[in-house]
Amino acid sequence: MDVIANQLFAGLSMASILLMIALGLAIIYGAMGVINLAHGEFVMLGAYATWALQTYAGIGILPALPLVFISVAAVGWIVEKVVVQNLYHRPLDTILATWGIGIILQQAVRLGVGAESRFVKGPALLSGNTEIGPLIMSNYRLFVIVFSMAVLAATWVLMTRTEFGMKLRAVIQNRAISECYGIEAKRVYSITFAYGAGLAGIAGALITPLFSTIPTMGTGLVVDAFLVVIVGGLGSLIGSAAASVLIGEATAIFSIVINDTLGRIAVLAGIILLIRFRPRGLFPTETRR
Amino acid sequence: MSSKFQYDLVALVIFALVVAFGVPAVMNYDGFELNTFARYLALAIVSMALSLSWGTAGLLNLGQAATFGMGSYAMAMHLKLRASDGLPDFMGWNNVETLPWLWVPFESLTFTLLAGLLVPAFIGGLIAIFMFRARIAGVFVAIITLAFLVAFQLLFINQQGLTGGQNGLTGLAQMSLFGWTVDPYSMGFYNLVAGCLVVALAFGVYLTHSKFGLILRAIREDADRARFFGYNVASYQTLVFCISAALAGWAGMLYTLVLEFASPTYMSVSFSLAIVIWCAVGGRESVSAAAFGAIVVNMLEGRLSDVFVEGWHLILGVIFVLVVMFMPRGIYGLLSDSVQKIRRIRRTRDQRSVETFPNT
Repeated sequence: MDVIANQLFAGLSMASILLMIALGLAIIYGAMGVINLAHGEFVMLGAYATWALQTYAGIGILPALPLVFISVAAVGWIVEKVVVQNLYHRPLDTILATWGIGIILQQAVRLGVGAESRFVKGPALLSGNTEIGPLIMSNYRLFVIVFSMAVLAATWVLMTRTEFGMKLRAVIQNRAISECYGIEAKRVYSITFAYGAGLAGIAGALITPLFSTIPTMGTGLVVDAFLVVIVGGLGSLIGSAAASVLIGEATAIFSIVINDTLGRIAVLAGIILLIRFRPRGLFPTETRR
Repeated sequence: MSSKFQYDLVALVIFALVVAFGVPAVMNYDGFELNTFARYLALAIVSMALSLSWGTAGLLNLGQAATFGMGSYAMAMHLKLRASDGLPDFMGWNNVETLPWLWVPFESLTFTLLAGLLVPAFIGGLIAIFMFRARIAGVFVAIITLAFLVAFQLLFINQQGLTGGQNGLTGLAQMSLFGWTVDPYSMGFYNLVAGCLVVALAFGVYLTHSKFGLILRAIREDADRARFFGYNVASYQTLVFCISAALAGWAGMLYTLVLEFASPTYMSVSFSLAIVIWCAVGGRESVSAAAFGAIVVNMLEGRLSDVFVEGWHLILGVIFVLVVMFMPRGIYGLLSDSVQKIRRIRRTRDQRSVETFPNT
């Protein structure tokens, strides 16, 4: 029984990380139909930024978060301005271009920082464990779960309760007509892309104490995060949240029922089936393209 | 015979002549260099296979590496059995006592060669039927094939006793074909690979210019419209997926012969996207261009990694982003656009000369 409870917690922890990564991807994909395969590299950049801030400036993970967000968002903004902006009319080609950008970022980090793995200390404040009966939960993982929900809420507020969110939703529904109303679609796209990249950076910062930080860490993450977005339904925030919990928990449960690898294969097979029968995801949004 | 077909035939003949006679002469018939180039040629086959499904039918298959890996492992299993008397060595390390039933038929070369083509075609066909019956298209084809690739690679690494796991299959024997022992560093072997590529290309050119290819292009442009004309879109898509998978398997078999080992990295996401890159750089619309792209990018990779030991990946990434942005149709697009431009200039010049001498 306690094995199952602990495994459920591990699943939730994984889901929170997936959600953090997938949110940025979901916004970028939902808003512009761009499949951003460089997203994993944004996560990696966030992780390295955190490492650099901790090693050279002595700033811990939590105070570093705003700095990481801004710096990775800036990288995202530049990428959007230079490359992605020219490809909006060719969505399939964005897969290729962003994969190329991913290679560039990955190699730039490898050349600049080195290929060996880096370690980041977790915050001392969150070091211990919380125990409820047989259930042992690391405080840091609990924090990541709460934080990811806060980010989800903040993104929801941004999308539905602010002027920027209204403009973004208008552009998603009909770019041409919203431009007639004086919304600068280009600018909205740039900011959205930067925001998505910044979220990936924060995700990267938060996973540094849990994963080893290496230049190739993003490649595996982006595939998972992308599956979350597709399963959740394009551009649906609630869908992404539900899908990350579903995939996180399914992976955790399958991995004790069968084993780690076969569990992952089973989850992938499930995802393939789901896309086949519900290609618009669990929570499809009604938009006109 | 359309003019496009003529161009493709001319390109194919030039390609065949260069590969068969030009390259070995430039390489000075050096065994090592020929082996390296044979590797590029094997990769060219998988690139042209992708151009059939992606360029002609518009189905971006990110799982091409899986079918490539199947062919490669089929050949490696046969050669591993030839190299070991009784049980292959890695099975002993994994406490496998008897030869698994899956391995038994690979004792026969005929079976291996057939399996290397038919197993990928069959699996590719299953996935295709699964997807295209539900009218899955566009990005979702890419996602499903990508997820399949990840799952397939995990499965291969997981089944250590059957596949050698992370180490792959090493220590292979040399293939003997009708009593001829295939030495991967010989001129004969180079000719075998080059011959395979030329045959595959000829097949590809024939296919794209047949009625089948025409219908595939119609489906690429507008699947609904092709459906209204009464074509069974799913069957055409499935068939081209099978053909592409079989060609990838063929390329995989040759690749194992060149490198003399099979590794699960042949089925990685990066390798699969690399195939897409070659195809995009060469030009996805033409099979010869896609093959050319694979050779060019791989040669560039070889040269760059010699000169810039550290930064060559970075340069490759930059080149690729530039190609996607400014040459969306690859080298082929650049060529065909300039041919058209020259024609247009000539035509306007002819018209002008007509205007100046209205009575002639």
